[in-house]
Amino acid sequence: MNKIEVKELYAEYSDKDGKFLALKDVAFNVREGEFVSIIGSSGCGKSTLLGVLEGIIAPSSGGAYIDGQLITGPETNRAVVFQHYSLFPWMTVRKNVAFGLKQAKHDLSRSERYAISDVFLKKVGLFGFEHKYPFQLSGGMQQRAAIARALAMDTDILLMDEPFGAIDAKNRANMQELLLSLWDGDGNSKKKTVVFVTHDIEEAIFLSDRIIMLTNSPGQIAAEFDVYFPRPRVHSAIREASEYINLRNKLMAIFYDENIGISANEEYAI
Amino acid sequence: MKMIFKRLFIIPNALFAVLILVQLLPDKPYRIKDYPLYTIGLAVALEVILLSVSFFVKKERFRRVFTDVVGVIFVFLIFWVLATIKFDLPGNAKQAVFPPPGAVLDRFVLDFGQILINVKDSLALIFKGYLIAVVIAIPLGLFLGWNTRIGDAAGYIAKFLSSISPIVYIPYAIVLLPTFHHASVFVIVLASFWPILASTVSGVLNVEKPIVDSAKTLCVGRFTMLFQIILPAALPHIFIGCNQGLSVSFILLVSAEMIGARSGLGYYVNNYANFGNYTNALAGVFTIGIVVTAITFLFNLLQRYLVRWKQ
Repeated sequence: MNKIEVKELYAEYSDKDGKFLALKDVAFNVREGEFVSIIGSSGCGKSTLLGVLEGIIAPSSGGAYIDGQLITGPETNRAVVFQHYSLFPWMTVRKNVAFGLKQAKHDLSRSERYAISDVFLKKVGLFGFEHKYPFQLSGGMQQRAAIARALAMDTDILLMDEPFGAIDAKNRANMQELLLSLWDGDGNSKKKTVVFVTHDIEEAIFLSDRIIMLTNSPGQIAAEFDVYFPRPRVHSAIREASEYINLRNKLMAIFYDENIGISANEEYAI
Repeated sequence: MKMIFKRLFIIPNALFAVLILVQLLPDKPYRIKDYPLYTIGLAVALEVILLSVSFFVKKERFRRVFTDVVGVIFVFLIFWVLATIKFDLPGNAKQAVFPPPGAVLDRFVLDFGQILINVKDSLALIFKGYLIAVVIAIPLGLFLGWNTRIGDAAGYIAKFLSSISPIVYIPYAIVLLPTFHHASVFVIVLASFWPILASTVSGVLNVEKPIVDSAKTLCVGRFTMLFQIILPAALPHIFIGCNQGLSVSFILLVSAEMIGARSGLGYYVNNYANFGNYTNALAGVFTIGIVVTAITFLFNLLQRYLVRWKQ
């Protein structure tokens, strides 16, 4: 069952130098409960692609569909975590989470919102930090709070735009494991569908069920890979596995291959 | 012991001694009568506060600022005393225009009740005008800045209009508005309106795009976007204009109260200056200075509270 369908998507990106074709004929599907990563170097259009899924960037042709419905604007059936400024700096951590809840679920009272916020802050390990402002927290803690807000909104879909891009390597590994444990839960409950944008190949392999690689300007799908490692995954176990090393080397080879644009339509499989 | 010396032998303490010694010089004859005891009293009061601050206040920064400010006041008083009654000023200076500090302090004390009433009336005028400006300029600025089509143009127009002194509008205000008081309020409104509008518009234009995107993905409505996202995000910038508007309001207070006012500090200064009584006029001028400093201090506290979330 496809949760997200992207069909013949073209999108333009404009800045002070003019307009560029950011995405060219991008098409892929994401199954319900699937964790898909989109990788590509900076400026390849992966953030534009996520912007289309968020509903804040209008495609120039084609489109993206959620449950068969064309995306025409932002909606609270999907939660977003950005690299920076997911949180509003003038709200305390709790108020940030509660604000997301208020937008997603209109019928909750303030005390209910605060109670739910605290539950999710506890889940991401921010118990005791509810009344801090974002600037008082480390970058990693801010992203935990942003994840807490996204999860508290209780959406089917989670969109993440390089959420761990500004966090140091050790904390990033912790955050990746935390994200997976929150997403996987007890292994029984319904999983969210995740689209995760990153430029970090190892991060993509560790997290994903499937990896979609984009070429550079304009962004086109270069290759897709399924990642079969069993879950739950932890870094210490996966890092040494030969399948992991093979897959990583293979992706690296394609990623750094300058001719990647030519082999755009070729499919690689593990 | 070393610390005591370090805090005792500071320049302002030496300046205090100079200020006291200067009083011993003979007065030039035929000047406005000075009351040196008032000057000495003020100096001693400042010195006592300075000493207690330098020995009992722990905050390094506050101590430094306070010491420097008191030092500057002492220097100012020394030159004031020397120039007005101890030496002859260069040129054809009219003595009546240069009363010594003791005389001004004397009038300040004698007329204190009257001055307080004027402070109250002026504050009411400024508060009224400023509040009207804030209530109109901030929402208008948010709206103009948020509509990107007109935002850039609005910024330039507001900057252009803010450079025109509201004094220019006084005749129009008198003709168009029902009472002189309305005209006075109007001058204060204009004085603060343009800086606040200009800073609000540019504040909105400078809000980081990721914040707006983040809010958009949360599906905020138009009203929530303007008042719960854009307003707080632009607030540090808006405060620049609010500060500026407040200073301009006080600068224009004298002009505003020229328009048929019967009270207020601007009226007080004007009235005495018109009759050549510069001793009372200066007492009024210094009162305005003290009031502006106090208001600015309170305003900064408010600002620090409202943007406490910023690093």
